[in-house]
Amino acid sequence: MTTARRPIVMSSLGLLSLAPVIAGCASADTSSAEDALDQSVPASEEAQAPAPSAEPTLAASYQDGSYQAAGGYQSPNGSETIQLSLTLENGVITAIEVTPGAAGGTSERYQGQFAGGIAAETIGKSLDELNVSRVAGSSLTSGGFKKALESIKADARG
Amino acid sequence: MPGARDPLRSHSFEAIGTAWSIESADTLEVPLLEEIHRLIDRFDLTWSRFRDDSLISRIATTPGDYALPEEATPLFEFYRALYDLSHGRVTPLVGRSLEALGYDKHYSLIATPGPLPPIPAWDDAVSFYDGVLTAPKPVLVDVGACGKGLLVDLVMEHLLESGHTRVLVDASGDLRRSDTTGSIERVGLENPANPALALGVAEINTGALAASGTNKRRWASHLHHVLDGVTGLPSTGVMASWVVARDAMTADGVATALLLAPPEPFAEAFDIEWVTLSDSGVVRHSPGFPGEVFS
Repeated sequence: MTTARRPIVMSSLGLLSLAPVIAGCASADTSSAEDALDQSVPASEEAQAPAPSAEPTLAASYQDGSYQAAGGYQSPNGSETIQLSLTLENGVITAIEVTPGAAGGTSERYQGQFAGGIAAETIGKSLDELNVSRVAGSSLTSGGFKKALESIKADARG
Repeated sequence: MPGARDPLRSHSFEAIGTAWSIESADTLEVPLLEEIHRLIDRFDLTWSRFRDDSLISRIATTPGDYALPEEATPLFEFYRALYDLSHGRVTPLVGRSLEALGYDKHYSLIATPGPLPPIPAWDDAVSFYDGVLTAPKPVLVDVGACGKGLLVDLVMEHLLESGHTRVLVDASGDLRRSDTTGSIERVGLENPANPALALGVAEINTGALAASGTNKRRWASHLHHVLDGVTGLPSTGVMASWVVARDAMTADGVATALLLAPPEPFAEAFDIEWVTLSDSGVVRHSPGFPGEVFS
């Protein structure tokens, strides 16, 4: 599996959430969540290894580079934020890092996400092959994640 | 089930920190949706430990007798069963420990240095009788193990009472479906270590499915939101669990319990089917799990 090369963090939110959001960028309905993205700063960072073709690809109009954004969402304790960093190379996402908490939070918080996550990464069948109408497992960070990604898209559109 | 293109038959929103959707074969009238939102708000105002104005927050500061809403009776009865079956590992009395570890009202995500507060034994901390909770001392109750499932049930019951017969309530990780035809909903069991993959597919006609895991709300390598009432520390060993049951509270509570304790006693006590994924990548499931499980 190629997934082992990516930062472990990526697998927590991963491709499933990404693909529809990127593909559907024209209709931006991220719904009811209140406060929007506070910042969106292109940053330059070291490049990751080129991604395999199975990666989700962005339309050609997105510029390569590293992007960071913060998203807000409503949780049981009120407004929360997550940070998202994403690297684009030739229109392909090569690295993603998600950090919960306030702006400037360190990514170490999400490191070591899975004690044995690597072992589990290859288990199962691709959702594309399965005729399912929904998925059980995602929770909580989805709203903020999507908002952060919307901001990155707006930023990368050149 | 109708698709998202028909806004009157599917309603999506955010509540209690997560994404919800309701789908029905019949039109979802606005007044009914307003009632559902009020129901959710009232539930949150009772049970949220993240709100200063909630009943739970008052009990956390002021001892006394508290008359609780109707849903408290099945909730506490079920929680007590989980507590007994897990020998104290599943308990609503981990609130202070969660706070000390950083999962607090302000979401500090910073563990307080020093020893964790001891987790009180149930009978020392609270008693519940005839709808009244008695707290001899201030106590922080956390209904995280099955609160969301219970709310899904309340929403579903309201929809059924309002005449909806083919309806689905999905609160991201806890869902319940009711159907009068033979149709089946196929729900992928997302591999938490790789969401492009499913560990299996649950097939639901009428019933509930809950997913629980330690990865989504983790803020340091060993810190997440499911605490073991015996050790006082975040659970280890099982990374994720899925439970099918008749109602969402049972599914949610047992799914949480399976992160903390072996499945057998719960499978004996409740009408459930289950799947677990261990930290080392081992998938186990009950023989009668409805659908498929890959490993």
